[in-house]
Amino acid sequence: MKKVLLSLAFLGTMAMLQLNAGEQFAMSDADRAMYEEMLENNPADIFVEEGGEIFEEALGGEEAFGKFLGISEKDLPKYIAGFPRYIKKLGNVVGIDQVIQAMQVSQGKEKTKLKSGKMFSMLAYVKSLANDELINIDVKADAYIKASYALGKTTYMTARGGRGLSCNSCHSADIVGQVLRTQPLPDLGEVAVAGTWPAYRMTKSSLRTPQRRFQGCMKNALLKVIPIGSKEMIALEVYVATLAQAKHKKIAIPGLKR
Amino acid sequence: MKRRNFIKGFCTASALAVAVSPSSLLAKDAPKSGNKLSLDMAITAITGGKAVAESKKVSLTVPEIAENGAVVPVKVHVESPMTDNDYVKAIHVLASKNGNSRCADVMLTPLNGKGYFATRVKLGGTQDIVALVEMSDGTFLKTSKPVKVTIGGCG
Amino acid sequence: MAEARKSMIKFKPKKFKVGDTIKVDFIVIHPMETGTKKDKKTGNIKPAHYIDNITFSLDGKPFTTMKVWETVSTNPYFSVNLKVPAKGKITVDYTDNTGEKNTKSKKLKPKG
Repeated sequence: MKKVLLSLAFLGTMAMLQLNAGEQFAMSDADRAMYEEMLENNPADIFVEEGGEIFEEALGGEEAFGKFLGISEKDLPKYIAGFPRYIKKLGNVVGIDQVIQAMQVSQGKEKTKLKSGKMFSMLAYVKSLANDELINIDVKADAYIKASYALGKTTYMTARGGRGLSCNSCHSADIVGQVLRTQPLPDLGEVAVAGTWPAYRMTKSSLRTPQRRFQGCMKNALLKVIPIGSKEMIALEVYVATLAQAKHKKIAIPGLKR
Repeated sequence: MKRRNFIKGFCTASALAVAVSPSSLLAKDAPKSGNKLSLDMAITAITGGKAVAESKKVSLTVPEIAENGAVVPVKVHVESPMTDNDYVKAIHVLASKNGNSRCADVMLTPLNGKGYFATRVKLGGTQDIVALVEMSDGTFLKTSKPVKVTIGGCG
Repeated sequence: MAEARKSMIKFKPKKFKVGDTIKVDFIVIHPMETGTKKDKKTGNIKPAHYIDNITFSLDGKPFTTMKVWETVSTNPYFSVNLKVPAKGKITVDYTDNTGEKNTKSKKLKPKG
């Protein structure tokens, strides 16, 4: 079943009608309270806990993570809230999952695939260590993160694919709030994508990482999917994180999403 | 009753038969929505045909609009002292238009302290959630609320 | 697939006294397959596979039993109350329609 995505021009003309539809589909305060309560019993908590167990048993947990990066355990939460970041010993701007892989290699162990349930759980666990910390990526810290931010912004703004859409086509400030397929388009900074993913997705009944969500969205928008862990995908994560950072959002893993 | 046993046997067999590959489970052999039961029939089955009174003592909390029909939160609370002589014996959660209208049957005891139960259910579409309550004195109470299920969104 | 199912028991609030009525939340990873959905890859209907019975006990004595149907969400959540009589152990025993049995326990530790 081919899913039809409204083109930008169509969205524009539908704007007036959609505003009313938006109210119809917008969550009431009572509903919002119910869904927030669901966060207290998030199935993803079990996956995060499991990720922690694997991370602890197989790799030595936070202690080993801190040692590998040269960060003290007490500074670790704030440090984790600054990912993706440039890690000198890896020579690249990387995500938490890639650091986990590097740790595995340094311990002579087999690398867990980035696109695996095991890695998603470990990634979610390590990121959850930064819960309540403000997202804090310093895009001026070095030339690498500067370049990554620039690449991320370009990737976000570049129109491509069958319908000539970019991330910005649906998520720019003047478009957000309009309804697309019964759901109001979100402001990625306001909903703190970078702070609340990995999350439990109700439509998928599983823990989903932010990069996988980006891939899902790309598929729907008829954009060629960018590979997980690629330079462009990491750059996109950096840029999207700065959107939440600008709104002083905190890390809150795992999230709970439609 | 027969159908449920058939399903149980079918699934147990496939669980034990390690050699059974998915392709050998042909669609025509698989159990259809084995537990089809309409709301009215389910209520009759539960109450034995006894009268059921709409009651404000039963409060049902469900979202007005379900973001996702696969995970709809449901909360039931029944006013009751929960003593040995006066307590909520059972809370039944039903969905008016699901093929199998039954969701859960919860048998409580005074040790629960409150006539309360919460869960998350699947709704096949916009319909009512029904909370059917059996009190320790054998009387039945109920209330219901509509839930609008939107099937949409990107991804 | 002999691995025990993953689940969690949570008490709310976390700190409570004897005599308090607390919430006992149980969440478990289980597909809750209805038996009506097709496997996208094979085109075959995925067999029904869902939790059908749950018993909540305190020190071995059941205080809540549930009959559950395939209409409950995947990775389901169940919540009831408990008027805490004393310290003890809460056990949740559950079976599914394939006959698979599982159990999860948590110590009930009231303060004062």
